[in-house]
Amino acid sequence: MNEFEVSLSLIVLFSLFANTAIALYGVFSKPNLVKKLISMTILSDTANAFAIVIGYRAWPSPEESPVPPVLTNISGGYAAVQELAQRSVDPLPQALVLTAVVIGLAVTIFLASIILHYHRTHGTVEMVVSG
Amino acid sequence: MIEPVNVALGLAALSAVLSVIATYLAVSDRDLLRALIFSALQSTAYAIIFLVLMAPDIVLVYVPVAVGIYPAVVLALIKRVGRFEGGEGGE
Repeated sequence: MNEFEVSLSLIVLFSLFANTAIALYGVFSKPNLVKKLISMTILSDTANAFAIVIGYRAWPSPEESPVPPVLTNISGGYAAVQELAQRSVDPLPQALVLTAVVIGLAVTIFLASIILHYHRTHGTVEMVVSG
Repeated sequence: MIEPVNVALGLAALSAVLSVIATYLAVSDRDLLRALIFSALQSTAYAIIFLVLMAPDIVLVYVPVAVGIYPAVVLALIKRVGRFEGGEGGE
């Protein structure tokens, strides 16, 4: 990788760090519960993006790109599997993130129902006035 | 001459910068509906990053969940608890 590609990759990494910081600020300092929910969703998405970045690999050569970890040539035999293993990205973080996205949706719906019950009991969703 | 690796990584970097702007606007906006729309925009930028980082199966799950179902759930919540932050909708 030359310097330009390294700098582009660093832009992606530091943007993810900045997103983590902004989302943590939203979770900690905003008094509204719905805003806390939105910020927490952004935080979990950023953690998933970090896992995907860990599983990525550099380009084997400038002409050919890394491929998704899917074996498309079924009848190729051992040579096809070997060629896929040399070019494909890591499938383990992708499997974990695939599970985490669905679990995150379930957690979001659960927290939304909790906020709704809080609003029905206390009449507000602001943390500072409901003490 | 532009090489394909620079095009792919440049698209990822552009989406990353867009996601930072969308995250800042989503956290700082006092209108919860606009914050939700900016959050969906951030999810779209993340979907482009996942696509560039060779995870198309993640994109197939992430786009309906993060751009479709999640804004629908939070939209139903915002409709009941009030649209604006700062006590105007609640109380």
